Amino acid sequence: MSDEIQVSIRTLGGVATVIDLVGDVTTFAEEAINQAYQGVSSDGAVNIIFNFRENDYINSAGIAILIGVVTEARKREQKLLMTGLSAHFQKIFRMVGLTQYADLYPSVDDAINALKNGKGS
Amino acid sequence: MRPQGSRVVELKIPSELGYEKIAREAVATVARRLNFGEEKIEDIKTAISEACTNAIRYGSGADARMKVVVVLTADDDKLDILIKDPGVSGAAPPGEMNIPDIKGMVEEKKRLGGMGLYIIRMLVDEAEFIEPNDDDEGNQFRMVIYRIPSDEENKPETGDSGSGKKGGTA
Repeated sequence: MSDEIQVSIRTLGGVATVIDLVGDVTTFAEEAINQAYQGVSSDGAVNIIFNFRENDYINSAGIAILIGVVTEARKREQKLLMTGLSAHFQKIFRMVGLTQYADLYPSVDDAINALKNGKGS
Repeated sequence: MRPQGSRVVELKIPSELGYEKIAREAVATVARRLNFGEEKIEDIKTAISEACTNAIRYGSGADARMKVVVVLTADDDKLDILIKDPGVSGAAPPGEMNIPDIKGMVEEKKRLGGMGLYIIRMLVDEAEFIEPNDDDEGNQFRMVIYRIPSDEENKPETGDSGSGKKGGTA
């Protein structure tokens, strides 16, 4: 029943590493997301953008996976940014407090611009 | 289309994670028929997903042989959602819906999770575990979302009917 998540990684001009997520962000996505995050961290990524597809399904188990990533990122002094979320899920992320640890931007371009201007959480 | 009197939709889904998406799509269809706005429909979809996930995970041990029952009752003024699970754990449902301690989770002082009920409570008008009838076993979780008539709905009707019928978006 779950739309298996597809995760891909790209590096943008030495500014940031983007982890693109397409599909459901639920408990079934845990391994794929953590593998992608650990992989880019091993490669030395400092600025990491999680780019969501706007209308995908995210639940609280998926949010818990992202909080786990936040925990690791703080230890490694990485910046986490999140893009592509619908207005609804932006609201949910604010509601649970995730935005204290990762800034939200409408698009990857907006996040890159923020990083170039010295912003980002 | 707007209901006149109650319309009831009942679903039985296998107790397997992922099947909550059926309830999610069904409630969206019912909510659209009630003329809820799109953002409120997203809220309702997220709330029912979380409630069904809890029922699957904790109320029936994610055992696909068991069923979670979802009853959607559409009235003129509200959408009433009842989620029933077999309650296999035997544990009492949580009495409070606490604000998640995300700082504690990030600092690894609290376990990850426990956000579902809080999210539900923030998205719907009423949310509570209710005592099942004597004939029922297991857990029952009820959510209510009220329709707020738009200005258009509140306008007095013109013409002969004088029925004062409601309409419009939440």
